[in-house]
Amino acid sequence: MLTYIARRLLTLIPMVIVISFLIYLGLELTPGDAVSHMIPPDAYGSMDEDRLQELRESLGLGKPFLVRYWIWISGVLQGDFGYSLAGGVPISKIFLDRLPATLELSIAALLISTVLGSILGTISALTRGSLTDQSLTVVGMLGVSIPEFFFGLVAILIFALNLEWLPVGGRTLPGYDSFWDRLPHLVMPAMVLSIMMTAGVMRYARSSMLDALSRDFIRTARSKGMPEWRVNILHGFRVALTPVIVLIGFRLPVLIGGSVIIEQVFQWPGIGKEFVSAVRSQDYPLVMMVALFSVLAVLVASLIVDLLTAIIDPRVRLGD
Amino acid sequence: MNKLLRTSAIAIIAAQVAGGVSAQAINESELSDPRVRQAIAYAIDMETIAETLFEGAAIPALGLTSDANNYPEGMNSYSYDPDKARELLAEAGWDGSRTLDMVYYYPDQLTADFMAVVQAQLGDVGIDMTYRLLEGDVGAQISGVPDDPVNGPSVVDWDILYGARAAIANQEYFNRFAEGEMPTVPTVDALVPLVESVNATVNPAVQRAGFQEMEGIINENVYILPLYYQQLYIFESDRINRNGAPYGNEQYNYNFDVVNWTVEPNEDGELVAYTNGAPMQFFELPWQNLGIWVHSRYAFDTILEADGTLTPIGGELAETYEVIDDGMTFTFTLKDDLKWHDGTPITAADVKWSIEAAAQAPITHPVVSTTLSRIEGAEALASGDADGMSGVTIDGNTVTIKFAVLDPNVLLTFSQFAPLPMAYFEGTDPLQIQQNEFWQKPIGSGPFMIEEARMNEFTTLVPFPDYHGGVAKIEQIIALPSADGDANLIRNAAAFRADFGYTKNATDVPSLEEMEHMTVRPVNIPYTRMFWINQFPRG
Repeated sequence: MLTYIARRLLTLIPMVIVISFLIYLGLELTPGDAVSHMIPPDAYGSMDEDRLQELRESLGLGKPFLVRYWIWISGVLQGDFGYSLAGGVPISKIFLDRLPATLELSIAALLISTVLGSILGTISALTRGSLTDQSLTVVGMLGVSIPEFFFGLVAILIFALNLEWLPVGGRTLPGYDSFWDRLPHLVMPAMVLSIMMTAGVMRYARSSMLDALSRDFIRTARSKGMPEWRVNILHGFRVALTPVIVLIGFRLPVLIGGSVIIEQVFQWPGIGKEFVSAVRSQDYPLVMMVALFSVLAVLVASLIVDLLTAIIDPRVRLGD
Repeated sequence: MNKLLRTSAIAIIAAQVAGGVSAQAINESELSDPRVRQAIAYAIDMETIAETLFEGAAIPALGLTSDANNYPEGMNSYSYDPDKARELLAEAGWDGSRTLDMVYYYPDQLTADFMAVVQAQLGDVGIDMTYRLLEGDVGAQISGVPDDPVNGPSVVDWDILYGARAAIANQEYFNRFAEGEMPTVPTVDALVPLVESVNATVNPAVQRAGFQEMEGIINENVYILPLYYQQLYIFESDRINRNGAPYGNEQYNYNFDVVNWTVEPNEDGELVAYTNGAPMQFFELPWQNLGIWVHSRYAFDTILEADGTLTPIGGELAETYEVIDDGMTFTFTLKDDLKWHDGTPITAADVKWSIEAAAQAPITHPVVSTTLSRIEGAEALASGDADGMSGVTIDGNTVTIKFAVLDPNVLLTFSQFAPLPMAYFEGTDPLQIQQNEFWQKPIGSGPFMIEEARMNEFTTLVPFPDYHGGVAKIEQIIALPSADGDANLIRNAAAFRADFGYTKNATDVPSLEEMEHMTVRPVNIPYTRMFWINQFPRG
């Protein structure tokens, strides 16, 4: 297994380089640069273009594209992630400040959706065709089809503004720094972020469970006189879990990127909001690092999914 | 005030004389024909749009500046007249198959609705128009001069740009007409000497005459089409009491007297007030947008003080000041015992360094930058031939500034200019002053100092105990990172987390006014929304 992991990790390097080059190229093809974005459009006509050009030169933006890419990638390979062009803040500091907030939100949403989705999906499969099953299917469809921002706004209206049970947004307030202080702030965004994924996991778990329950080994287990709950949980659920884990594994990196809207609605100070802002302002060192992080998250998640699948399902052989 | 502005405009319109079309098309673009531009002006019913779409939150514009004293007699109001528009288009031989490409950069729904109305009204007179929002780096998409300005092709790929000019000095509206470096503003020979004249005097009467003549020429030829004057809306909760402090142009520094504001105690008995505008990644250099951010206005004092209309009225950090030698020398003496928020003294050397750094910083506000560029020795500093400005000298607490070229906005500039503590910028290239780590938690000179700054989360400000104007009564200001036009501002206000602030977004106003605990106060500001017309022919 260690050989397999090492081989997979080594293949990440060329993939990351190619992907990062393509993203860098995409930024290069976008009109404008970080300097002209520093000036509000209403004021642009009054600025001294020569001075702005001097700033471009001093920030290294006047160098040819390939030279800039080389400087950036060689810096990254040496552990130097560079500085945000807009404010000169080290990229590493921005990551350290923002990533915990995004991970906190994403992991909370992942936990909620995994537990809730698996349980509801299993119940739905075990009660196939019943009113419970049909109700859950309808709820699942609604969860998948209604946009998250809508749920977010409704939740704010009900729980923050009308009932005043939860704060309207933000991650914390000055002077309140512990996890327990932050928990009320986390509840709404995590619940809303998890809705769509819960619905997805539920539907996946249901069909996977139904598939497992129709297999021969389930019939064999029943014919041995095994109690129904043991058949369902130990045999059915374990097998049904494999595709669900694949789904969940790939959802974490998507959650990190997909929390942008939730971060905006709930004023959550995460990396997603920062990424959108950096793309708009063409702050390429920051865009590149967030993009690189997302790519790595997907690739590593893929590796972890493969490993977990092999552990859960004995039929899977790594490296085959 | 709105009524006053309208009445003044109507009085001028009443005295108007019919102005003939003196200019001719200057290139292949149909838009270079003044009759086409005039037709567009006649085709848009701005009065109705202001009353209906903008629900009265817009004042139809007559001139580029909102000050009616700048208008000559005979200004054409271009009142809605679709027949006149069709007539002018026919005279100009307008090609009915041509589709105008309108662009804009405000992402709000109200702007999109406005574009739809303009499209319909232009369509009514036979002008097809499409409109689209500019995304990404707007600056790069609205600037650029072609190698051949006469034959083109234009660098920018639009015909008309819907945008705005927010100016603190009237010259800002006109100076570009003498430079011609923008697609949006043509070089007009008749305006060149007038631009020079309003920049070469501090005499208000001479300036006024120049502004009037320029407004008249621009109005007659519709080089730019002013649409409406926008207002700014100051909101405050019923917890806040400004105790008589004036209301003014919140985007700049004025005598808002925050030291004497009070706020109702919260449940813990603390005097805490909430506002918006906390930084997302860094505190902005206060030389760029001057007072636009709360933290700039409250954490940094300026040399002089202005009133709500931005008219300089006295000293702030300066105890005394005077302009002598026919405006060629400006001298001021700092108050005694001034301190930065870190407890170190504010010195004349800090001020001199700040002036020299601001003159070299690329993002300094244009009015400030222009004033500083006219100081003796500014050119040598810019070219690297000198380390400082020979025109700025210090003697104890007194700073003397000698100008090589007279500047009409010296007092205005120094009523907006906040010095910085030079000790924190040792070795910093002024080009990259905004990139200094100082802007993660700046040390200022104003009534409030930054207590804690969590980027994109919140910023807290507390009273500066050594402030020369006394200690502020509010014990803590918590700024959240929502801004005007951001739905989070409304949500925060509804949740009692926005006690004071301002917005320029008219769509925020009804929501704020619906809240029983909020009051909204409109303020007239020099902010003109307009159509900029691409002066270069497109390919």
